[in-house]
Amino acid sequence: MAALSIASHKNYWFGFLFYGGLVLFAVAVVAFNLFRPVTVLPRITLAPGYALTNSSGRSLTSEDLRGGLSLYSFSYSRCAGEHCPNLAEVQGLLNKQQVTDLPLSLVTISLDPEWDSPAVLANYLQQNGYDGSGRNHWHFLTGDSFLVRTVVGNGFSLYYKAEGDGQIKFEPRFVLVDGLGVIRAYYYGSRPEPAILLRDIRLVSEEAQNSHGATRLAYEAAHLFLCYPH
Amino acid sequence: MLSPLKKIPRSWLLASVGLLVGLLLTILLLNWLTPHQFHGLVMQSPQPVSNFELTAHTGQRVKMSDFRGKVVLIYFGYTFCPDVCPATMSELRQAMALLRPGQQADVQVLMVTLDPQRDTPQLLANYLGHFNPTFLGLTGTPEEISVAAAPLGIFYEKHEGDTESGYLISHTSTVAVIDKNGYLRLVYPFDTTGEQMADDLKILVGE
Repeated sequence: MAALSIASHKNYWFGFLFYGGLVLFAVAVVAFNLFRPVTVLPRITLAPGYALTNSSGRSLTSEDLRGGLSLYSFSYSRCAGEHCPNLAEVQGLLNKQQVTDLPLSLVTISLDPEWDSPAVLANYLQQNGYDGSGRNHWHFLTGDSFLVRTVVGNGFSLYYKAEGDGQIKFEPRFVLVDGLGVIRAYYYGSRPEPAILLRDIRLVSEEAQNSHGATRLAYEAAHLFLCYPH
Repeated sequence: MLSPLKKIPRSWLLASVGLLVGLLLTILLLNWLTPHQFHGLVMQSPQPVSNFELTAHTGQRVKMSDFRGKVVLIYFGYTFCPDVCPATMSELRQAMALLRPGQQADVQVLMVTLDPQRDTPQLLANYLGHFNPTFLGLTGTPEEISVAAAPLGIFYEKHEGDTESGYLISHTSTVAVIDKNGYLRLVYPFDTTGEQMADDLKILVGE
């Protein structure tokens, strides 16, 4: 009788451990999803590949920017109006606050490549207070009209149309691309919200720097469970 | 004399067997429930690939929508490429070889030439035929090729070289994987093996 009692007591503990383990696992999964110790930006789609020309007349390709972060914008030297992206302001913001140790490139692609030659772009940068001493390099790119339309239209999904008076109609936006060439965020408007932009750059940068070994599993789990910032 | 087994109380034996069975079931269940870990870069918000049109090495005009219902692996290279392109095509050949015939029928490998000037349809057919007769080479005008390449993150640039074959083309060497519905799902970097690709293709083909 005593032997039976001891046996059933031990069975109870085995069962407790077994089912307890399962419950613990389920709680861990739910807790990860609820508390989100790791937050990531979604991998939206591939950024387009290109070989364009910068304001120094040199070729800049999408491959040259691999390994670092890139913030793309779209404008042109004759752009006038509220919808024109305030690029100097964005550069100033990023120069003031170091939110990443990775190289961060600001890349503006001209929507008016036929007018915007490298010399015109160089002049524009100088006139608009481009600070060449900043940590974050700013590239203003031009190139073949067809290629630009392919990259901007097909690649970044931005529609633009010449209005005939030197002005171009377009919806301003900024696009954040990570070091693997994946688009991670879109910011619509001529000025991205500074706090959100800085937060997102920090998140993508942290993921790139920390996603190794066991912590990589945590980041992939964050992607799997859609642990995106609100 | 009692055998060693008979010395162990019956309840202990039952509990041990029960625990082992429980552990085995847990492992099998977790394996079944855990989603497949794709190799390469996974697109969390898959976007439809644009329906670009090119000319196959057979002479036919083809659009991406012609391959709906198949998993498409698309690579951008050229036949005069000295190293990266043949290495990637070898991995693609290996990936196909690891699939069952039924699975192979649901996969299409495309190579878009970045060198339409030298890569004639005949040259493409001969080159790809060495890897797998089902691989399809695509060519077109420079504009058509840039419309196909750019949205898939492919950069390419001609460099005058001193090789016997003339110029070389620097280019992104990734393989884009498009699912049966025409959505970009994965991007394989250059060092992805055929085994890894086959592992993923088995899942995508079964979707």
